Amino acid sequence: MKTEHLYSRRFFLKTAAAFTALAALPSTVKAFYQEVKNFIVPAKQTLPLVVTINKKEYQLSADTRTTLLDLLRENLQLTGTKKGCDHGQCGACTVHVDGERVLSCLTLAAMLPGKKVTTIEGLAVGDKLHPMQQAFIECDGFQCGYCTPGQIMSAVACVKEGHTRSVAEIKEFMSGNLCRCGAYNGIVESIQKVAR
Amino acid sequence: MLFFEDQDSITTAAEGRVEGIAKVTGKGKYAAEYTVENVCYGALVGSTIAAGSIQAIDVTNAKQVKGVLDVLTHQNKPLVPGFADETKIKESRFGLPVFHTDKIFFKGQPIAIVVAETLEDATYAASLVEVTYTTEKFVVDFREAQASTPLSMAGKERGSMEAWSDAQNIVEAEYNIAAEVHNPMEMHATIAHWISQDKLKLYDKNQGVNNVQRTFARLFDIPTDNIEVISEFVGGGFGSGLRVWPHVLATILAARQVNRPVKLMLTRPQMFTAVGYRPQSWQKIKLAADKDGKFLGLLHQAQHSTSVYENFNEGITRIARLVYSIDNLKTESSIVPLNLSTPTWMRGPGDCTGDFAIESAIDELSYVLKKDPVELRMKNLSLEKSPDTGLPWSTNYINECIEKGAARIQWSERKALPGQVKEGDWNIGYGMAVGMWNAGRGNASAAIQMQKDGSLTVQTAMTDIGTGTGTAMQNIASEITGISKQKIKIELGNSTLPPAPSQGGSTGLSSISGAIVAVSKALKQKLADYASVQDEVYKNATTEDIILSESHLSFKTNGNHAIAYTSLWETHNLNVLEVEASSGPGEERQKYSFCSSAAHFCKVRVNSKTGKVKIDRMVCVADGGKIVNAQAAANQMSGAAIGGIGMTLMEEQKVDARVGGLIGNDFAGYHFAVNADAPLIEVDFIHKPDPNINPTGSKGLGEVGIIGCAAAIANAIYNATGKRLRDLPITPDKILLA
Amino acid sequence: MKPFAFTKAESLPKTLSAKKETTQFIAGGTNLLDLMKKHISQPDELVDITSMLSDKIEAHKKGIRIGAMVRNSTVTLDANILTNYPLLAKAILAGASPQIRNMASAGGNLLQRTRCPYFYDITTPCNKRQPGSGCSAVEGENRMSAIIGYSEQCVAVHPSDFCIALAALDAAVVVTQSNQKNSTIPFSDFHRLPGSTPQQDTNLPANALIHSIEIPVNDFHKNCAYVKVRDRDSYAFALVSVAAALDLKGNTIQEARLASGGVAHKPWRWYEAEQYLKGKEANAVHFKEAAAMAAKDVKPLAHNGFKKLMLQGAIETALQNCLTT
Repeated sequence: MKTEHLYSRRFFLKTAAAFTALAALPSTVKAFYQEVKNFIVPAKQTLPLVVTINKKEYQLSADTRTTLLDLLRENLQLTGTKKGCDHGQCGACTVHVDGERVLSCLTLAAMLPGKKVTTIEGLAVGDKLHPMQQAFIECDGFQCGYCTPGQIMSAVACVKEGHTRSVAEIKEFMSGNLCRCGAYNGIVESIQKVAR
Repeated sequence: MLFFEDQDSITTAAEGRVEGIAKVTGKGKYAAEYTVENVCYGALVGSTIAAGSIQAIDVTNAKQVKGVLDVLTHQNKPLVPGFADETKIKESRFGLPVFHTDKIFFKGQPIAIVVAETLEDATYAASLVEVTYTTEKFVVDFREAQASTPLSMAGKERGSMEAWSDAQNIVEAEYNIAAEVHNPMEMHATIAHWISQDKLKLYDKNQGVNNVQRTFARLFDIPTDNIEVISEFVGGGFGSGLRVWPHVLATILAARQVNRPVKLMLTRPQMFTAVGYRPQSWQKIKLAADKDGKFLGLLHQAQHSTSVYENFNEGITRIARLVYSIDNLKTESSIVPLNLSTPTWMRGPGDCTGDFAIESAIDELSYVLKKDPVELRMKNLSLEKSPDTGLPWSTNYINECIEKGAARIQWSERKALPGQVKEGDWNIGYGMAVGMWNAGRGNASAAIQMQKDGSLTVQTAMTDIGTGTGTAMQNIASEITGISKQKIKIELGNSTLPPAPSQGGSTGLSSISGAIVAVSKALKQKLADYASVQDEVYKNATTEDIILSESHLSFKTNGNHAIAYTSLWETHNLNVLEVEASSGPGEERQKYSFCSSAAHFCKVRVNSKTGKVKIDRMVCVADGGKIVNAQAAANQMSGAAIGGIGMTLMEEQKVDARVGGLIGNDFAGYHFAVNADAPLIEVDFIHKPDPNINPTGSKGLGEVGIIGCAAAIANAIYNATGKRLRDLPITPDKILLA
Repeated sequence: MKPFAFTKAESLPKTLSAKKETTQFIAGGTNLLDLMKKHISQPDELVDITSMLSDKIEAHKKGIRIGAMVRNSTVTLDANILTNYPLLAKAILAGASPQIRNMASAGGNLLQRTRCPYFYDITTPCNKRQPGSGCSAVEGENRMSAIIGYSEQCVAVHPSDFCIALAALDAAVVVTQSNQKNSTIPFSDFHRLPGSTPQQDTNLPANALIHSIEIPVNDFHKNCAYVKVRDRDSYAFALVSVAAALDLKGNTIQEARLASGGVAHKPWRWYEAEQYLKGKEANAVHFKEAAAMAAKDVKPLAHNGFKKLMLQGAIETALQNCLTT
């Protein structure tokens, strides 16, 4: 705990200086995190990939930076998986990888070979809806529908995991899927219906 | 008046919403999800200072990123005719003249858009744009800036302040509410496609396609019909889609510049500065009553923030003039300009904020008077007429909402004194509050296309942001025409369809339902006209005389003078039968005042050691007139109540006064309610149609679902703990420190 | 994200010896990708190490070993852990979301970086992100910041829940160095205080990997609790969290453990309070005293004075919960 007092005065002067610098004229903004002068722009790298999505095998060439979410939405036109934050803070992009619910926005496409991805498009069998999809319709488990694919993928996993013993348990294990419309009543009811 | 004869005939649609399958299968296309050939990607660059001007923008590094097509800034943008000079910019009322100024008004202001072949390229290149600024002094601290704008009268004073200066039972208190951000789950997105030099196609997230269409027609000086706006699926709005925002224009300009369709989706942090928010506010209430609880006077003062480049006033004190009969009333307000982006209407705008202060103060007064807060409210409600306009209410069942809610939550269990019920470290209490909203209505149009197999397509330009507009349209069309719901398709959210107002302010259903009734009747009339050629009985037939079945129309009784659609189509050589009709408010608006209302009750527990608040039960009862679809309406109400839980307990957009901008502008920093934060919300309705508002008798619910929630929860916290929390959000720290 | 090369590690020694300063290892990726998207972490090369690491939970005589690649959710389902080390599962279940717990690795959990909003906002100064640029939080929006062990250079807090339980249970971190030798770092030494080098979160040597986490056998399984106070009920970082564990004989405390998250740059142990509880009866009076003892040392900043009260309350609640849950 000695470190606490070691730097006080000098430190605060320095912080103040940093803020003064921020307000000085003119200010250049990128300096905080990267050297921009004489900066050599690194070249984009691509990878050949074989990815299995909804039982279909895709042979792709992907930017190493591409996330599973962007791969689905921008490259494969599988737009059922939604982007709600792109940072693992909302659950709208939930898909199943090897049968488990994960966030596609925090999954690199480059790490997918050998794994099986299921998205909302792969949940129904032909025209026959998955029971969870049916339940969401019957229980009105959505309003705007944007978080819905993520909610449904999460709900399917929630039932499979057995986290449905009480309303409180369902609510806790569905809290990784934000719904701004607040359709939580219907979401819980849908899960109860399928779990029964 | 078909709807009123059997008011509960339309119940829950067993098959769910019209767009249900599209939503649960992921097939519904939201703005950014359309496949447009040759599309490229935009990424916005935001200013990193709060005030000043751009000295230089260096795009050299950004342009070196392979795949970058161009970088648009104020220096190289294609000129927007509507922004040709300062006067035009002002007249455009667009707010921020994006890329048409070097001035910086707030941190995060869009100052460049990078366009590239892929999203990855665009996003990375945007991080390489280097900007040099001349900085100026900025003001972002609302509390600090409050004094700069003195209050002025907001509405006419009633009676006088002197009349109650010696009142015995009085409460006087100040209330503060943090800025809140709509944050619909779908981030705002646009695909802009110039089909030709003066023809524009926009896939865009908004709450009103005609508004977007008109705005850009004006800015680009091209005919309205040259712009098609498609917003078929809208991933939530809550008000954020009621204006046309700078990023949409930025995308359109980018598309023009690179001569290709451009797609832009805002990032979540950008959502905090690009599409409005509920402004931070301060309020002061002085409220007095006589010993019997009759309100003697109310002084309501309010201030909220706005931006330095636009004046936005949401009318916080409006609600003070709406619910209760108060002879002496004064409302004052002002707006406080800050170096932040412009706020906008957010669910229950103004009233939601004002209601928290008033309904909290009434609760405070109830303890002073030692009267039950339910009784106190009942005593003062203005049930006959609007206290502000003096016009009689068309319908106002707020008293019934209160009675029904009190019974449902077992209000009698509530203890009159605070802090009486404990379970271990948890204190338990009950609270209630009411909400009200002026029930508006706009002009709307709708069309029906009928095929000879008896199937209908009902169309309107109105969007469905999740409220169930399409489903309600289907229900109403089915009810009026008699055609089964399975045979009625809905098309909406496209500016080429019959025009309709934006969906907001709880006017959506109220406006469009009139048009659907009108067009359904027009369809029957048209069928009768054709039928009269074949059968005299249909001559001068009214719509009440006509019965439609799956395959026939008939006169008055089923089967009577039946004519098959196929025969009608054949006789008149029809392909598709098309009708269009409009409907809007009329002279009833001069005769009556209109309102929706709700009563919110809750039971909370508060942990004395950790400051945690848990809502055990929440009961919301609303007067929404005729309920067209009970399931969707209940969903709307419970969702709004959950928005209210967020507003009360956690939502707060933090501003750092030293940095000059927002901090924690993502979902890790800005919390709204997750599933676990809300109990299963208990919703009920009064189910009494309003015979004057529109042909269906339904009134909007989107706002009253949230108005009143905050005070109900805060009042329950007081009842549980004896701690009066007047600043939202009521986070655990505030409970502990109170 | 800045462009980067992506490779899959094929041998551990090669991977470790070839690691450059601009190389980063990726396992679960739940924090790293987030940081890369924000341009906070900008590696030239990303090496997928998922197949190089153990994903096994192994019990042995002296305790239990959790492989670095074990997913967070797997820890919460393991029968041995639920029986003998339930505090670990309780802590993990209080953090993140089911989806993130399915992805995040045990090793990665230890290495996750602070959630201080200034660290995440590249337009503001932050010594942890850009050494020498200044700390925006110390005089800024520091409601979430530390109340103990901070320096004037950095007031950020450690974000993990799992680590709080590991700290309480006296775990140790086994690391594999580039010379392929394994060494053990006591958990209390694994994370650092910010001092004058807040850019460094841990004492994990350069070119080293977390191999596994060792938790020694203990008698806390019957009476342990994790209390996390946060702004919403789930899916939020702690304002204050407390891992509490009691070894009881009858109602007498043989040994107590108390650790906290949301208070310091590392998981914080309340040794004095633990010592005080030893030999005492497990009751509210002693719990309150222990909580006060812990709270007396904290020095809140301008906007987090409440954390002192909250810490006390959370410690009392956690100790009380040890007796009931």
